[in-house]
Amino acid sequence: MDDYLSGEEEDDYYYTSDQESLEGLDHDQSNLQPLSSSGNTAKVITKESLLAAQREDLRRVMELLTLKEHHARTLLIHHRWDVEKLFAVLVEKGKDYLFSGAGLTLVEDDPTFSPSSPMMMTCDICVEDVATHHMTRMDCGHCFCNNCWAAHFTVKITEGQSKRIRCMAYKCNAICDEDVVRSLVSETQPDLADKFDRFLIESYIEDNKMVKWCPSTPHCGNAIRVEDDELCEVECSCGFQFCFSCSYQAHSPCSCSMWELWRKKCHDESETVNWITVHTKPCPKCFKPVEKNGGCNLVTCICGQSFCWLCGGATGRDHTWSSISGHSCGRYQEDKEKQLERAKRDLYRYMHYHNRYKAHIDSSKLEDRLSDTILEKVSILEKRQLQLRDFSWVTSGLHRLFRSRRVLSYSYPFAFYMFGEELFKDEMSAEEREIKQNLFEDQQQQLEVNVEKLSKFLEEPFDQFADDKVTQIRIQVINLSVAVDTLCKTMYECIDNDLLGSLQLGIHNIAPYRTNGIERASDFISSREAAGEKCQPSNSGWNSEDTSCSPRKRPRKEGIYRNSQTTLLDLNLPADVIERK
Amino acid sequence: MIDISRVQKELQDCEKDRDSSGIRVCPKSDNLTRLTGTIPGPIGTPYEGGTFQIDITIPEGYPFEPPKMQFSTKVWHPNISSQSGAICLDVLKDQWSPALTLKTALVSVQALLSAPEPKDPQDAVVAEQYMKNYQVFVSTARYWTQTFAKNSSLEDKVKRLVEMGFGDAQVRSAIESSGGDDNVALEKLCSG
Repeated sequence: MDDYLSGEEEDDYYYTSDQESLEGLDHDQSNLQPLSSSGNTAKVITKESLLAAQREDLRRVMELLTLKEHHARTLLIHHRWDVEKLFAVLVEKGKDYLFSGAGLTLVEDDPTFSPSSPMMMTCDICVEDVATHHMTRMDCGHCFCNNCWAAHFTVKITEGQSKRIRCMAYKCNAICDEDVVRSLVSETQPDLADKFDRFLIESYIEDNKMVKWCPSTPHCGNAIRVEDDELCEVECSCGFQFCFSCSYQAHSPCSCSMWELWRKKCHDESETVNWITVHTKPCPKCFKPVEKNGGCNLVTCICGQSFCWLCGGATGRDHTWSSISGHSCGRYQEDKEKQLERAKRDLYRYMHYHNRYKAHIDSSKLEDRLSDTILEKVSILEKRQLQLRDFSWVTSGLHRLFRSRRVLSYSYPFAFYMFGEELFKDEMSAEEREIKQNLFEDQQQQLEVNVEKLSKFLEEPFDQFADDKVTQIRIQVINLSVAVDTLCKTMYECIDNDLLGSLQLGIHNIAPYRTNGIERASDFISSREAAGEKCQPSNSGWNSEDTSCSPRKRPRKEGIYRNSQTTLLDLNLPADVIERK
Repeated sequence: MIDISRVQKELQDCEKDRDSSGIRVCPKSDNLTRLTGTIPGPIGTPYEGGTFQIDITIPEGYPFEPPKMQFSTKVWHPNISSQSGAICLDVLKDQWSPALTLKTALVSVQALLSAPEPKDPQDAVVAEQYMKNYQVFVSTARYWTQTFAKNSSLEDKVKRLVEMGFGDAQVRSAIESSGGDDNVALEKLCSG
């Protein structure tokens, strides 16, 4: 058992095995609390709740401006569903400006035009005389026959312009009343009316910067809405985790543009291509790339063609060490050599970072499989009549391991770009770069060491250990979890403040670190519904749940990672640790 | 789906005030999907004195979709292609409204001749000349008008070509097959 503690002296950063450190955890947790509770604002919008979500914003506008729903929608579509911005325009520029800008015209009913009195009027579009009850007057005052309106709507909906169908009159900016569109189109083409409705409803997602489709493939059909900050990572109810700003997989602490570059780089293996261009020459006959493995400058391809390595031109076979007969191409070579050196160096640099990135990604895949066996161990432990009854530390430690492993793997592409020349060549002097790189790498190393230790402890066959040994492991896992969490947090802070924060270009931002991992979007419940019932224990409830319900009752058969909210554990655990003491 | 009756009414309507507006629309085919519009060059512009012909194609969705218009007479203008005669005009694209007609669209085209928009060019070469060397632009446009859009009647054209030594019937069929363009007809006569 002492083996587990052997690393203790060399690594004073994270733990001592005595009880004092456990007491200290309470303090730690209170520090972390604001981080973990900030947010939890992302909502999953399913096909079913889409309408309710949209209606919530519509109601706010309808109530403030006493408008009909479709008018409110026209305003909101124009303002990309940003209610606050819409209200700001209203306050600053007034109602008329707001309405006319969005193509909303409200006129009082014109008493001279009454559809009930049968009268003939000429429709300016088809130039036919039509009975007035077969004509429709839009809010802007323009009146045309129903057939022409329907034909106009058909063309526009088919063109995909459902969201803003303008009046037919020349230079009239008014947006057509959606009820009129719907009723006139559905008479002859119910399919098209459905399409129109779908476009309108989906506008809430398409035209709204706070809402995005979940990028999962195959698509789960959900969209995610965030409240305050678009710079975050979320987990959809389908289990897919993604970066809300760029819709790629969650990649912090890499910035979105770094991740984009890295993804492309890994994808086209551009370094390999680079190497091939520098180290080989195409044979002038068969065009295969030929690598020179030593010797003189007369190279013979496997196809039998001889050529000059210096200029790539085809030659005969007669040559001496220094010349090829009948061929001369005096050439200034320094340039070529520099290029070669450079490509080699870049390739090694990329390989360094890529290997480490890949290693952690691979480990996390293995650990993912490990979670089942660990859960098995827990259930074995629970069957044994040990003093220790609470084994939530195992799953918590496992969560911590997954999360920090992720952070660690993405920290390598981050470092590749942060300290490379591709992005920030002129942003830092060489000395500055070196200092910063050292600072970052120290933190990265510390995190790595602790993550590996955590991994090692969790892989121990502790289900077969005696009571005291299990207790020891528990302390190690808990301490390491806290240490790793703190290290991740520090690393994000360092990136935010000292590395990216000091740059001139403000285009690199990273999603904030969350102790509890990537936020799981909760189901959307409209505020009205929610007001009606007692606040459902959503994610916000799980902290109290941890302490209130006995940990033994925790459903352990369920996979720990992608389950209902009840299995989302507080990773810091100390609350319950202290409770037990 | 083409509203034939509306197109017919438009043609009648156009015919009524052709003397005052100078704008004409004539059918090219029986089904009224292909028409020819004629507009006089606006007075006070390099296009003055010219008569410009425009090929009109009525799409299926007319009048809910804009008619397709293209100059068949060669024009030197920043918003009209000197090669194809394609017109860059908002009312023929996204600003089209079903309440507009062939005649109002042709009036817009005529207005475009008086007020070029070199910042939104169809023909980059012409637009550049317009911006950098306006005088050269004016004389080129005028020369093109004189050469390609000169207002000469069919009889004038026939007479001119007959005087060159071609037979009357031969000349008439050549002019007809080249869409009324006597220069093209001459080329045909010479080559054939």
